[in-house]
Amino acid sequence: MVKFIQEQLKAGGGNITIDEASLVAQAMAGNMSAVQKLILKYQDRIYNTVLKLCGNEADAAELAQDSFVKVIQGLKDFRAQSSFYTWLFRIAVNHTLNFCKKNSRLNFESLHDEIDEQTNRQLKDYLIDKNSPDPSELAAKKEVSGLVMKALEKLDPQQRAVIVLRDIEQMSYTEIAETLKMEIGTVKSRISRGRKNLRDIIEAAIQ
Amino acid sequence: MKDIEHIEELLNSYIDNELDERGNNEVKRLIDNDKTVQQLFESLSRCKTLLGSLKISAAPEGFSDIVAMNLERSMLLADMGTYQNKKGRRRLILRKFFTAAAMIALMAVLSYVVFDVFVPNSSRQKFADNVLHRKQKPQVIYEKPFANVQPAEDKQLSVKKFPLIPLVARLTLVTSNPVEADWLVGKALMSTTLFDKTTVVDRKTGIVRYVLNCDRSSIVDLVAELNIIWPKCHDATLEIGTEQQGKYITVKNATARQTLDICKADNYNQRIRMANDLAVINEVAGADVLKSYYAQKNTDADFTIPEKPALTSSEAVEQPKSSKFSDPATITITIIAK
Repeated sequence: MVKFIQEQLKAGGGNITIDEASLVAQAMAGNMSAVQKLILKYQDRIYNTVLKLCGNEADAAELAQDSFVKVIQGLKDFRAQSSFYTWLFRIAVNHTLNFCKKNSRLNFESLHDEIDEQTNRQLKDYLIDKNSPDPSELAAKKEVSGLVMKALEKLDPQQRAVIVLRDIEQMSYTEIAETLKMEIGTVKSRISRGRKNLRDIIEAAIQ
Repeated sequence: MKDIEHIEELLNSYIDNELDERGNNEVKRLIDNDKTVQQLFESLSRCKTLLGSLKISAAPEGFSDIVAMNLERSMLLADMGTYQNKKGRRRLILRKFFTAAAMIALMAVLSYVVFDVFVPNSSRQKFADNVLHRKQKPQVIYEKPFANVQPAEDKQLSVKKFPLIPLVARLTLVTSNPVEADWLVGKALMSTTLFDKTTVVDRKTGIVRYVLNCDRSSIVDLVAELNIIWPKCHDATLEIGTEQQGKYITVKNATARQTLDICKADNYNQRIRMANDLAVINEVAGADVLKSYYAQKNTDADFTIPEKPALTSSEAVEQPKSSKFSDPATITITIIAK
């Protein structure tokens, strides 16, 4: 398998980087230190993505850990046709979406009462006015981040997944298509609909 | 509608820098020339910026250690072979099966105990009758005419069979004129040719006893002949033998008609039922009412129904003079008829 990955790299196939490829090869050979390095390299990103998808810290930690265990156990099946990074994210996102599906509860609560008057005005100004405050400053506010997270939760899981991978994980459309195993056209339409829906939900909350 | 969706898709691709140079220029021109598209673009890009500005959460402390621990545990489980081994898997399935069976058995025992303790006896019997023994016929909403009709020759009519139990009757007549009554009985026996079948004729002072052993049609004739003796008697008791040996149904104040009807009964069951009914009726109605009704009117009316309730008013009823029957004698006719 190590030889196969090296051959793939020589042939220029896949999106695997040399550092990552050697780590993956060593991990496949049973090197626990390489496994540890892979975990450390991706743990924050995986945890952050899973958290934005499921919205609960405890669940996110458990789901991210389970995803890593699955990935390491499945290393023997890794064919390096896609990058390790997209493969890892595919497992984590699918695992999280399955969990959300099993534990889905209808969320009818209103987001209107989530934020105070001042923050509400600031957020409204931000969405309408060009000369609005710095979005990072605004998003740093607990109420605003809470509101956005809740708005994300209200999205359809598939739309949520593409939005999170694009806007939070900063993946390209091709990477998202590879991670979620779908056409780029589908990714485009889901991102478009997801953003529109998210904007509508937030605007409805601050009216 | 599709155009708007297409424009939104283009705008999003533009925001995400996913368009080629030509596409970028086209969208740029669209934004510059159309105020609505410009507003939409700004709104979408602000939304994206807001989402991108969310705090990046770091994995909790000891994350990788927990992953390593979980990994180790799952490897150990895999090495144990319990879940991999065919034998182990089979044993697990068997264990699950036995656990389920034990649960079901326990539930059954508990249900029985609860049923036994809490359900009253009457309901239990009802339940047993309805559920365990009797099979309820399914309700037929529509039945095809003649669907189950068999050809006429295949049908066999079943005739209800009644037990052939011989008629055993003892008629006791009390009369104040024993000589005439005895002569009338003898005459009746002679005219019905039953004298030869009389096994016992016992004459003592005040008591004459006849025992007859004959067939039923002869008995009917005899009772019809004896009809004339009734006005000469002031009491007649008819005792009808039952299946139980030595046990008789006593019809007090029996009339000639009642005696005749009981003897005419088609089978044992009808005879016993009739005797029981008459015993009760005669007991309730009283001797004099029935006697006057049957003996004097000689009516063909239903003998089981008296003409009027007996003694319902407080009017004084004239009692028969007991002195008339100052020296009564008894004639007993015991009949055994097949």
